[in-house]
Amino acid sequence: MGLKEILEHHVVDHVWSWIVMGPLRLPLSKHLLMMGIASLILLTVFPALIRSRSAALAPFRAMIEMVVLFLRDEVVIPNLGAKGAGYLGYFSTLFFFILILNLLGLVPYGATATGNLAVTGGLALTTFALINFAGIKEQGLIGYFGHMVPKGVPAWLYPLLFPIELIGLATKTFALCIRLFANMIAGHIVILSFISFIFIFGSFGVAIGLGVAPISVGLVLFTLLLELFVAFLQAYVFVFLTAIFTGAAMHPH
Amino acid sequence: MEALIRPEFGLMFWTIACFVLLALVLSKTAWRPLMQAVEERERAIKSDLHAAESSRAKAEKLRAELDAQMAAMKAEVRRSMEEARISAEKEKDILIAAARKSALIIIEAGRKELDAQRQEAARDLRKRVAELSVMAAEHIMMKQLDHRANTDLASKYLAELEKERPDLKLECE
Repeated sequence: MGLKEILEHHVVDHVWSWIVMGPLRLPLSKHLLMMGIASLILLTVFPALIRSRSAALAPFRAMIEMVVLFLRDEVVIPNLGAKGAGYLGYFSTLFFFILILNLLGLVPYGATATGNLAVTGGLALTTFALINFAGIKEQGLIGYFGHMVPKGVPAWLYPLLFPIELIGLATKTFALCIRLFANMIAGHIVILSFISFIFIFGSFGVAIGLGVAPISVGLVLFTLLLELFVAFLQAYVFVFLTAIFTGAAMHPH
Repeated sequence: MEALIRPEFGLMFWTIACFVLLALVLSKTAWRPLMQAVEERERAIKSDLHAAESSRAKAEKLRAELDAQMAAMKAEVRRSMEEARISAEKEKDILIAAARKSALIIIEAGRKELDAQRQEAARDLRKRVAELSVMAAEHIMMKQLDHRANTDLASKYLAELEKERPDLKLECE
């Protein structure tokens, strides 16, 4: 069994069965299960935590509240302006959804749904929809597309710049999709590589393999901690960039 | 390896559906109560702050008022003490003057009485002395009364008197 198979086994989605609805072929897969678990946590645990008045749960409530307030005061309001408070629910959901999916990837037997291009692509598409929706709602359809090209550009450049800006809009969201995907998958690949070192060196001799093992395990632990950090960081980055793009679409100047 | 970067569009559909539903539901069930609680707390903090501020201002005003009252009261006390001192002085002066006057009256009365008594005594004494001397003279006269000599003497006196006062002259010739 080569590294390719191991990697695909651990990183790539496992489809168990398909639901076929006309042209739609919907998979029932491990990543879908992870999304289901994340949704279940978000739908049951979060409201329960927020509504509970028990003192024992107060720290968890405070943690959620801290994150939401941070998103409101440092991410949403500075980028979207005072009107952006209405979008806070979207950003909070996005942050916690990505965070929980990231963290589920670190749980044994779990899988990183955010390490799947389809999932990050789906999230990026909703962001794309949000950017355009917020921009059009704020400036009107004509105003939105009129302000797409920056002010002060000579008129003869418009035919060139307008398509570039349109492409830029798509690129931004595509970059979001790739960034999250690559960050989540990279850690896993690095961990798998470190573990594979043990067997690569073990093929030279059992003693060498055993000698390398502690170093490898140490590096794996370090990478795991790094992944834990990256799980939070990438959730924040995704939300932060979404806020910046949305803000830019709402206020073109 | 291309399985890694081949997006499964069915899963993308799942993701979008899942996320949009979550965003809709959680906005109602989680974020709204959370933000309500937070805003309530922020409002409470703001109102508490405001109340504290206003009560502090009130206390400060009250203190200033009390200070002013205290100063006024002190001034009042000082003034009334001064007044009392002045009136006491005046009273003292009046009392001393009255006492001096009454003492003078008493002294005067005593002196008058003394004078009267002395005069009385003197008068008494004189009367007694006169009486005694008259009685003594009587006795002496009784012893020395010599009819002839006396008659001569009387005639002599009468003659002298007649000379002096001719109007009283007896018409005996």
